[in-house]
Amino acid sequence: MADAPAQAAEGESELDAVWEGLDVLDTGILIWSSDRKLVYINEGFHRSCALPVSLGMRYEDYVAAVAHSQEWVVPGDPEQWAHDKIGDFGTLSDSDFQFATGNTMHVAQRPTRADGMAVTFTDVTAVKRNERELREAKEAAEATDEAKSRFLRAANHDLRQPLASLKILIYNCLQEQDEEQRREILHAMGVSASIMEDLLGALLQIGQLDAGRIQPRITSFQLSELFERIQIQFDHQAQEKGIDLRFVTPHKTVSTDRALLERILSNFVANAIRFTEVGGVLVGCRKEGRGLRIEVVDTGRGISEEDCTRVFDEFYRVTDDSRKQRKGLGLGLNIVKRLADLLEHPIGVRSRPDKGSIFSVWVPLGNIWHSDIGPAADVSEAVGGEFAGTPVLLIEDDEILRESMAQLLRRWGIDVHPAPNKDEAIRLVSEGLVTPELIIADYNLQTRTGLEAIEAVRDLVDDPEMPAMVVTADAEPKVISNIQKAGIPVLVKPVSPPRLRVLMHNLLFEPDFLKQTMGP
Amino acid sequence: MDDSSEFVPIGSMVPLTGPSAADGAEFRNGIILACEELNARGGLLGRPIKPFFVDTCRQTAKEVVSAARLLIEKHKVHAIVNGYNIGAQNSEYEPIADAGIIYVHANTLLQHHDTVMSDPDRYFGCFMADPADYWYGPGLIKFLSWLRDSGQWTPKSNRIAIVSGSTPYSIVISNSMAKAAASYGWQVCFGPKIVQTPTSQWRDVIEEVRATDPAVFANTHFYAGDLAHFQRQFVENPMDCLVYLQYGAVHRTFADIAQEASVGVIVSSIIGLLRDEMGKRFETRYKARFGDGSTPTIGCQSYSNLHHYAVGAAMAGGSGAPGDFEQNRKVAFALRGMIYRTVHGTIRYHPDWQAVVPYPVLTPDPSLGMPHIFYQIHDFRAPLAMIAPEPYNTERFIYPPWMSGRPTETKPAPSANPRGLTEF
Repeated sequence: MADAPAQAAEGESELDAVWEGLDVLDTGILIWSSDRKLVYINEGFHRSCALPVSLGMRYEDYVAAVAHSQEWVVPGDPEQWAHDKIGDFGTLSDSDFQFATGNTMHVAQRPTRADGMAVTFTDVTAVKRNERELREAKEAAEATDEAKSRFLRAANHDLRQPLASLKILIYNCLQEQDEEQRREILHAMGVSASIMEDLLGALLQIGQLDAGRIQPRITSFQLSELFERIQIQFDHQAQEKGIDLRFVTPHKTVSTDRALLERILSNFVANAIRFTEVGGVLVGCRKEGRGLRIEVVDTGRGISEEDCTRVFDEFYRVTDDSRKQRKGLGLGLNIVKRLADLLEHPIGVRSRPDKGSIFSVWVPLGNIWHSDIGPAADVSEAVGGEFAGTPVLLIEDDEILRESMAQLLRRWGIDVHPAPNKDEAIRLVSEGLVTPELIIADYNLQTRTGLEAIEAVRDLVDDPEMPAMVVTADAEPKVISNIQKAGIPVLVKPVSPPRLRVLMHNLLFEPDFLKQTMGP
Repeated sequence: MDDSSEFVPIGSMVPLTGPSAADGAEFRNGIILACEELNARGGLLGRPIKPFFVDTCRQTAKEVVSAARLLIEKHKVHAIVNGYNIGAQNSEYEPIADAGIIYVHANTLLQHHDTVMSDPDRYFGCFMADPADYWYGPGLIKFLSWLRDSGQWTPKSNRIAIVSGSTPYSIVISNSMAKAAASYGWQVCFGPKIVQTPTSQWRDVIEEVRATDPAVFANTHFYAGDLAHFQRQFVENPMDCLVYLQYGAVHRTFADIAQEASVGVIVSSIIGLLRDEMGKRFETRYKARFGDGSTPTIGCQSYSNLHHYAVGAAMAGGSGAPGDFEQNRKVAFALRGMIYRTVHGTIRYHPDWQAVVPYPVLTPDPSLGMPHIFYQIHDFRAPLAMIAPEPYNTERFIYPPWMSGRPTETKPAPSANPRGLTEF
């Protein structure tokens, strides 16, 4: 039998272990005695709640401290809340409280058998956030589901129409004996198939937008570049229809997704051309706030006031349009709306029947210093070097050397016209395939010398001063001096690219300097 | 690795005589100051850095190549660090690549991109510590458009006249300027016309340009003296347009010759000392060391290049002698990966070109590019006014005295645009 002090010591150490265990819990714990005095606070409470609480504190004081601490967001009047709370001592209750830090705390109050009370404080912020997110996701999913059902019903209807025509046409085609008629039917079948193709393409785009697969990439760029692209894209269509397509090009930098804005504007312009029979289409901008409103103005048939409010809806086609002239799918403007929503750019339409319409999209202005300089970002000598675009006639009979030299020259952006001999060189020039600014000729061509080839080309274009150089593997002093006597600079093979570059530069741009350095 | 008591030999190819001797002297100063500062703090991982200078005189291919050879073969330099040597057309890259050492320069040449990209493995050690000449063109176009769009200047038309010097540098800049113009709403009404340079006779070309009535007149020749004569001849009978002159006009010589005629001229440099706290402290140190007549905005280039190299070599665990490809590849790796803010902005190498990226023309982030600085001469006796780009500018643009000034707002004539769409 163990002695009493040892037993007591053992009991104490076990109790210590319990206290320590309670201290490391994340949950805060307060225990009140039946005479409403605070008898226990664990460490977890101090970690999670910044409230002025101390052992021996009376419950009334605790409630008052909480009510006025500003740490705990109490509902309604603090005095009233404190009064109610004091009356609740020893009852079972559960409630969630918002703390000043933004956290949500679940406070559970439980009576003890000895008429006291234990209260736990559990941080449920993450749980609450997850709950809210789940709820929102569910609501969004339900809304999308509803929209999708509506969308699919409409898509189904629109897909069935060309499909039905196709079936009839196939049947007719099978019966038809007359070749001319058959061709016409086949053409109509082609049209139906292309309508279905367009529709499926549009559905795919909408699917991608809905699935959040299209992420805008916002950059600053010059709007003029975009207008130019759209003009190139639609000029032909407008000309075919005999209407005037005009762009009033702004010199402004905008900040948006270049490709998505292009899709919006292309859609507007395509519609404007489609629904305009006489007059024209004008694309321009006006400054509005910190942005530009880009407007596509047409002199087409216009839209009634009632239709204006609905043109951006999916599968919406202006009344009577589908019967008279089946044009468009009724999806283009809906895609525009989705794209504009994605970019957060307001879109609008104003119209008067038989007068015309103005479709517009607002885009924020960008910082010109940040504007993209387009493909020039991939700068190299081929696009920006001093020789870029210079036409050069290269006469070299050795195929490998000709190819490697041409490759080097092309790397510098030179427009190289290679020829294996004098005759081919003459042909290139006489047929107008090249008007060289410089001739580079090998000295030992199979039947002629490079000097003769140069002479012949110069005679042909009647320019005795046309810049020219000779390259030779023959370092014989007599050969070199012959070439120099003809007043033509010479490089000995293998040609060093820097030397070639310097000589070409001098021939093309600093001929006086070359004359000085060549000397007598 | 060599003994730590041994010095690290660093070569520098500088035009100490010839037409660029003034710049060459500053490049030499920059290297000297950097060496002194680095050595005072213990050198490169405990080893003092010792510079070797070779004069490149007129900077022809022959002179620059033999300078590189001499530094490699005689002095066994671990790196060649300097300002610019134009005219060598990258031929000095060959002996340097053969030796496998590091080469940091400020040649400002587009062909650096192509040479490095043609064989990245061979030219692993070649770095251009300033942006290529090419960037001057789109940089100027953006600057002009910024003046226009921010309402600081109302151009009378969208016409630009471009006159080019006959060096590759001037031609490349003129072409890139012409190429960028249309995207920003400008129309090149004259040129780029190449004038045989050097020359002090500009009257003929000025008259040709006058006939085209431009809103901007740009001259991309870069010799300070020639440009000063251009400007004097321009103001004899000025046109109502802005005048932009290439880099050379930042030199003191330009204002000394052009005097009052220089006031209002716009000039830019793709590399130059900033006027922030860091730049000012450098200026004070530099002038204290080399005298009030010295030019810190030139000397800062080679200074920064050597500091940057030393940091890179320290990160790599030391420098590499000629032939030590392995060690020098580590140094090159460190230089390529490091974003280094120095007294003239940020040195950040493009991963493919191994050339510095310019701000704001290529990167919109000032912490990632070297500022292309636009100056205007406000007072020909005073330092140039730094008018762009933000956040480095210290002054604002003014209308040049020969121009008619901000035109009063006139009502637009009734147009064939009844819906009121405005052309900006």
